[in-house]
Amino acid sequence: MSLSASTAPTRPWRGSGPRLFPGGRGVGTSSTTQATDALAPRGRRRRTRLTTRERRDALAAYLLISPALLLFICFIAGPLIGAIVLSLFNYDLLTPPRFVGLGNYRYLLHDSVAWKSLLVTTEFTIASVVLHVLVGLGLALAVNRKISTALRYGLRTAIFFPVLISWAVVSLIAEYTLDPNFGFITYYLGQLGIHNLNVFENPSTALGAIVGVDLWHTVGFSFIVLLAGLQTIPPYLYEAARVDGAGTFRVFRTMTLPMLSPSLFFVIVISFIGAFQIFDPVHIITQGGPGNATESIVQYIYQNGFTDLYMGYAAALGLVVLVVLLVATLGQFGLARFWVHNEIAD
Amino acid sequence: MATTHAPALAKVARRARRLSANTVLILMVPIFLAPVIWTVVQSFLPGSGALRIPPVWVTAHPTIANYSSVFNLIPFFTFLFNSVKITLIITCGSLVTSALAAYAFARLRFPGRNALFLMFLAALMVPNVVTAAPTYVLMHSLHLATSQTAVWLPGLINVFGIFLLRQFFRGIPRDLEDAARVDGLSTLGVLRRIILPLSKPALAALAILIGTTTWNDYFWPSIYLTNRSQMTLTVGLVSLQGEYKEGSPLVMFAAVSMTVLPLLVLFLFTQRAITQSLAMTSFR
Repeated sequence: MSLSASTAPTRPWRGSGPRLFPGGRGVGTSSTTQATDALAPRGRRRRTRLTTRERRDALAAYLLISPALLLFICFIAGPLIGAIVLSLFNYDLLTPPRFVGLGNYRYLLHDSVAWKSLLVTTEFTIASVVLHVLVGLGLALAVNRKISTALRYGLRTAIFFPVLISWAVVSLIAEYTLDPNFGFITYYLGQLGIHNLNVFENPSTALGAIVGVDLWHTVGFSFIVLLAGLQTIPPYLYEAARVDGAGTFRVFRTMTLPMLSPSLFFVIVISFIGAFQIFDPVHIITQGGPGNATESIVQYIYQNGFTDLYMGYAAALGLVVLVVLLVATLGQFGLARFWVHNEIAD
Repeated sequence: MATTHAPALAKVARRARRLSANTVLILMVPIFLAPVIWTVVQSFLPGSGALRIPPVWVTAHPTIANYSSVFNLIPFFTFLFNSVKITLIITCGSLVTSALAAYAFARLRFPGRNALFLMFLAALMVPNVVTAAPTYVLMHSLHLATSQTAVWLPGLINVFGIFLLRQFFRGIPRDLEDAARVDGLSTLGVLRRIILPLSKPALAALAILIGTTTWNDYFWPSIYLTNRSQMTLTVGLVSLQGEYKEGSPLVMFAAVSMTVLPLLVLFLFTQRAITQSLAMTSFR
C-alpha cells in the first residue's frame, strides 16, 4: 500500500525527492505535471460528434480497462462498501447475519481492549516513526560522507538487506537471537550487565522489543530514501557555505535539513502508515501478549475476525483504522507546508 | 618549532579522526548482519555444538546434517513450490492487468476516464485490514475460504501498478505510436511492440516490487491457508516453529537459512536495481 500515488497532484517531495528512475525519463519529476493536466477539465480538441477513430479508441479503452475494473469492483470497491454494510451486522459465518444497526460501534465505545490496542498501536507508531527518521538520517549522513566505494557498498548492503527478508523469517530470527537460553543478543546483553532477559515475555519490554526488531527490519528503507535525498544536494552549496564561514552544525540546520525536508516528509508519511498497521511480528512472536502489552489494532481485528469469527465487529474496527489513517495522513499534509520546502529544489 | 609543525599535526589529527569514524562504520556492517550470520552459522553446526553460550561464530567442522533434516522433517519443497506459484501468478497477472489499464488511461480518450482514474487513485489509501473481513465473507460464500485462489485472485489488481505504468507510458513520445499506427498496427499491437519494450525499466521495477511483496506476504496467506499442503514459505515456517522449538530447533535454522541465503546472493548481484525500485515504489 503506497500513498505516493494518491497524492500526486500535490506531492510535496516532487522534484527534490529521490529520483525515481535513474537514467529513465524522470517519471518522478515529470509525473506531477502530467497527472494534473490529465485531471484538468477537457482535452485540447473538443468536438460534438465522435469520429470513427475516437469511437474505436473509446471501445478499445473500455476493453483494456475491463479486467482491472472487474477485479477492482470485486476486491477493492465492493469489499469497502461491504465493510460498511457488514459493520452493521453480527455475522459468524455459521448462523445467518443479524442486523444490529450501530451496535458494533456502541460496543466499541465501551471495549477497553480495543482502546488499549489503539493506545499500544499509537505508542508503537510514534516510537517507530521517530526512530526510523533519526536512525535512518544518521546512517544516511554517515554513508554520504567521503568514504571508500567498497565501504559504502558494504554499508548499503548490510543496512538495506533486512528490508528484503519477510516479516515471518525476521520474526523467527528475532525469537531465536533473543531467546533467554541460547540467543546471542541475550547473552551479550548479559555480559553488559542486563541479566535474565526474556524480552517478549515481559510486559514492560515486549513492545520495545518489537519496536527494535521493526527498526532493524525496515530502517534500510528510510536510509535509502534519505541517502537519495542527500545526494540530490549539489556539493557546491556545501563549498559556498564553508567559504561563507558556516560551521558544520549550522550548515546542517540551515541548509541540509531544509533541502532534505521533502524526503523526510516522505519517510514520515510512509513509516506512519506502515507502523500503524503493524501486525506480522506481533501475530508471530507474541500473539498480542503478554497480557495485551503488544496487542496492536490490526492484531485485535485479526483476532476478532479470523479467530473468533466476529466478522461484523472486525469490519467496524477496520473502518476505524481507515478513518484514523485518512485523518492522520491528511493532517501530515496540512502540516507539511509549515516545514517542507519544495521551492529550493532546483 | 611548534608553529612549523602545526599544519602537519592538524593533518595527522584529521586523518586519525577520519580513521576512527571509518572504523565505526566498518564495524556496523557485521553488527547489522549479525542476526543473519549467527542464524546461518548455527544451521551448519552439529546438534551438540549449536546454540551454545557463549555463541559460536566460526567452526572448523561444518555439517549439513540439519539441511538433510529439512527435507525429511518438514515439507520445505511444498512451501517453496506454493510460494513460487502464488508469486508468479500475482506478479505476471497484475503486470498484465496494470499495463492494459495503464495504456488506456495514458493514451486513449474515453468518457469517464478521469472519474475512473480518480476512483482507482483513492483506493491506494485503503489498507488491507479494512477489506479483510468482507473479502473473507465473499471467499467463504464462494467456498474458496481455504484455497490458494483466495490468496492470489485479489492480488491480480494492483492500483499502484496502474498508476506507475500510466505515468511512465505518458513519458513516451507520441510520434512513435503515430508512426506505428500509420504502419497499420492495432492498439494492442502498439502496446505490445512499441510501448512495452520501451517501458522495461518501469515494468522491471514493478515486477520487483510486486514479486517481493507477494513472496514476503504473511497477512493474506495466514488468513486463508490453514491446510499445510497449501501453505507458502512464510506461513509454513511460522506454523512449524512451535513443533521444532523444543526438540530440534536447528531444523528451523536450516530452513530459515535456506530462505535467506539465496536472497542475499541475489541481492548482492542486483543491489542497485532492487534498492532503487523499492525506494521508488514505497512498500510495506
